[in-house]
Amino acid sequence: MILALLFANSEGNILVERFNGVPAEERLHWRSFLVKLGADNLKGVKNEELLVASHKSVYIVYTVLGDVSIFVVGKDEYDELALAEVIFSITSAVKDVCGKIPTERLFLDKYGKICLCLDEIVWKGLLENTERDRIRRLIRLKPPTEF
Amino acid sequence: MAQPLVKKDDDRDDEAEYSPFLGIEKGAVLQEARVFNDPQLDPRRCSQVITKLLYLLNQGETFNKIEATEVFFSVTKLFQSRDIGLRRMVYLMIKELSPSADEVIIVTSSLMKDMNSKTDMYRANAIRVLCRITDGTLLTQIERYLKQAIVDKNPVVASAALVSGIHLLQTNPEIVKRWSNEVQEAVQSRAALVQFHALALLHQIRQNDRLAVSKLVTSLTRGTVRSPLAQCLLIRYTTQVIRESATNTQAGDRPFYDFLESCLRHKAEMVIFEAARAITELNGVTSRELTPAITVLQLFLSSSKPVLRFAAVRTLNKVAMTHPMAVTNCNIDMESLISDQNRSIATLAITTLLKTGNESSVDRLMKQITNFMSDIADEFKIVVVEAIRSLCLKFPLKYRALMNFLSNILREEGGFEYKKAIVDSIVILIRDIPEAKESGLLHLCEFIEDCEFTYLSTQILHFLGIEGPKTSDASKYIRYIYNRVHLENATVRAAAVSTLAKFGAMVDSLKPRIFVLLRRCLYDSDDEVRDRATLYLNTLGGDGAVVETDKDVKEFLFGSLDIPLNNLETSLKNYEPSEEPFDLDAVPKEVKSQPLAEKKAPGKKPTGLGAPPSGPTSTVDAYEKLLSSIPEFSEFGKLFKSSAPVELTEAETEYAVNVVKHIFDRHVVFQYNCTNTIPEQLLENVSVIVDASEAEEFSEVATKPLRSLPYDSPGQTFVAFEKPEGVPAVGKFSNMLRFIVKEVDPSTGEALDDGMEDDYQLEDLEVVAADYMMKVPVANFRNAWESIGPDFERVDEYGLGPRESLTEAVSAVISLLGMQPCEGTEVVPNNSRSHTCLLSGVFIGNVKVLVRLQFGVDGPKDIAMKLAVRSEDENVSDMIHEIVASG
Repeated sequence: MILALLFANSEGNILVERFNGVPAEERLHWRSFLVKLGADNLKGVKNEELLVASHKSVYIVYTVLGDVSIFVVGKDEYDELALAEVIFSITSAVKDVCGKIPTERLFLDKYGKICLCLDEIVWKGLLENTERDRIRRLIRLKPPTEF
Repeated sequence: MAQPLVKKDDDRDDEAEYSPFLGIEKGAVLQEARVFNDPQLDPRRCSQVITKLLYLLNQGETFNKIEATEVFFSVTKLFQSRDIGLRRMVYLMIKELSPSADEVIIVTSSLMKDMNSKTDMYRANAIRVLCRITDGTLLTQIERYLKQAIVDKNPVVASAALVSGIHLLQTNPEIVKRWSNEVQEAVQSRAALVQFHALALLHQIRQNDRLAVSKLVTSLTRGTVRSPLAQCLLIRYTTQVIRESATNTQAGDRPFYDFLESCLRHKAEMVIFEAARAITELNGVTSRELTPAITVLQLFLSSSKPVLRFAAVRTLNKVAMTHPMAVTNCNIDMESLISDQNRSIATLAITTLLKTGNESSVDRLMKQITNFMSDIADEFKIVVVEAIRSLCLKFPLKYRALMNFLSNILREEGGFEYKKAIVDSIVILIRDIPEAKESGLLHLCEFIEDCEFTYLSTQILHFLGIEGPKTSDASKYIRYIYNRVHLENATVRAAAVSTLAKFGAMVDSLKPRIFVLLRRCLYDSDDEVRDRATLYLNTLGGDGAVVETDKDVKEFLFGSLDIPLNNLETSLKNYEPSEEPFDLDAVPKEVKSQPLAEKKAPGKKPTGLGAPPSGPTSTVDAYEKLLSSIPEFSEFGKLFKSSAPVELTEAETEYAVNVVKHIFDRHVVFQYNCTNTIPEQLLENVSVIVDASEAEEFSEVATKPLRSLPYDSPGQTFVAFEKPEGVPAVGKFSNMLRFIVKEVDPSTGEALDDGMEDDYQLEDLEVVAADYMMKVPVANFRNAWESIGPDFERVDEYGLGPRESLTEAVSAVISLLGMQPCEGTEVVPNNSRSHTCLLSGVFIGNVKVLVRLQFGVDGPKDIAMKLAVRSEDENVSDMIHEIVASG
């Protein structure tokens, strides 16, 4: 299960926060934990370089893309490698939508489209689509090219 | 006013100041959502409003029932628009709003229409939305379409239906299970993701049918799986099948191993890693099987991708726990990871190296870790400290380097948990490695000179009070302790006063000087500190002369409180201030929770200061006090050992009884802990009638009945036996609980009748040879073995006959002898054909015993054992052999 997807700006403000199977009372804790993790480790990290952490049986893969930090939390079958796959799909979709590495402003300008991408990539905690071309077409309700 | 012409994209400051969602407010957005009701829809504007709604929801904002309903109804109006972008947003919005069952009906027909649309993408999205909001009844109506969708030629439609199936399986399993034919077909799909989703769903449908899973795995491992993700799933399912068919592990022809091995050569790293991990986790994996997996993991260690490095080092870390030798080849690569930018990777590398390192590499490793420690967070540091503690216990000769390392990091910045972990480690090392004691105590002394944590200071002072006076030059600690009286808060000052008093009591030559210091504390500003100083000045006696301290005073200072703290607390709470002083003797001594606590933590090692040195022995102390307070047993001499409680009744019976065996030189006392679990009954005159006809060497000498046993208030009754001195006599005892039962009114506790005598059969109890052996560890087995010498060594060989495994044979002999395994030798590496196990203990009569067991597998399952015993008494050495021979 992909437990959480979180986007924050460079000051640690939340831009997108989606939880799956995480009780409401634990969400705030996760939010502050992830933001702190980012603040401690993401400084000076190159765009899209992945960082990993694990806590008990939960894995966290996170990265930075322009002004935006992205966190993916998973457990069980979604271990660090599966999450790396998820975050890779996410970063490439975001870059596609924004046309370049996003600033915070650009990210917010394209907010609706980004929500659609996330909807295509993760569906209630399961990975649904990974290919960037397909996602680009799907958010415009265009069928994939390859079939 | 003229503005300088700036290209918008270049003006980053301006961008950062202005967010499209600046000042967004829920109420205003809900107002805006009214545009959804316009007869002339503006798709662009509607999309913007939906984006704002999504933004609010993604920030954790919630809509109440009325708001959600209103938005939902407005959104449904948007189905009228033909604008594709807007339609896509509408699908997402409906999912986010997750309407209630009575509202769903509004969109059902629109979605059903989309589901049968010629446009594939409408179909896929309608399926996803419908499955998200549907309930069981609606599901049966659309089931037909979903089954078709699973085998649809458009992969997006098929995936939508399959992923919906995975979710619906949780809520409507019986319906989804009917789709297995279609799902089976989808597993063969040429589209990678469809195959992945189909495989996941098919496995979930069949997960309780082992045979079906096995067939699925067999067929897929022979065919081709296109998607790397699906291949990973297949590897996981394969390991599950291997685990469940855990046979033929001996000959090396493990089923599916070849498949796993072939996956190590897959082109996707994800698959390679999954296969490598699967191999390392196989039950009883041999080193031949392990080698190719370790090789690929080693390659990943130097990958440029942090995720791969992390995954590899995490897996190797696990392997190092069971097969440290297999991982040593990777040590060089791992050492370079100590400087990895990702601290999680570095910490895992360090802890793995600490597990696989040998004695000669310790110094080099410590040098590298020192540089590393300064730039990681506390939680990582704690992991490292714990790893160093185990390393030090493994190589006691290296204590100097490791202890120095611990004391150095103790001086650096750090939070409470981290400091506590270090202090705990030092305490454990002091306790287990006698040579490390003096230097360890000095490190702790230096630490309290500048310790910001009251808790740690008081704990260390307590520990110093117990261990410090036993050292060769106790006076050198006094300065550190007395400094606390000047410089610290009241709690620490009071603890320092107690510690000073302990030095005064134990070291007679220091007494006059301690008196001077204690007298100064009489003027302290805090009353607890003054009270303690006064108390100790009076109890120590001798007026400051160099005289031996009374035994009673020592007992008072060092003895453990023989009253359970819980009971004391309850009694103190119930005490009402009056002329009559509080009577400590009136506090009940029954240990209520103790047997339970012991059961919960069998063989748990004391950890640091949390359990002070008196911790493990405090039970014995409590038992000793309890027994010596009973006149009938006061002549039995010193208690040698008390067993853990043995249950004599099943759980949840009317009366719960367990027994503790107390072993003395010439006597054995059974302490029966009884609990009455019936509120309507009061038991009186409770005793246990013991039949010792199968224990010939024992004769009953005394019995102490329990006067009354009310509901839920445990009590004890005792029976004592005499046995020949110094002989580990064994036997079987049958037990019958006898009592007078009275009916009582549960509300008042008053007896309603005169009662009648009744019996209650208990389970049998055995006294075995292990009861005469105390588990006492030695820090360094080889040194102890050499120092005890070969004078009374006895060596013999035994055939243990066919055994299930080497591990089982080793643990059977350990429990037969009841001795302490040393240096982790109780763990038998997987697939070993031979093993050496080292044991230590103290036999009744306080005779130190060391045992070296060498096991070998002889023939298919037969196990042979060579037993070498060294002890301080030849009779004891012979006796150990007798125990093994008759066991």
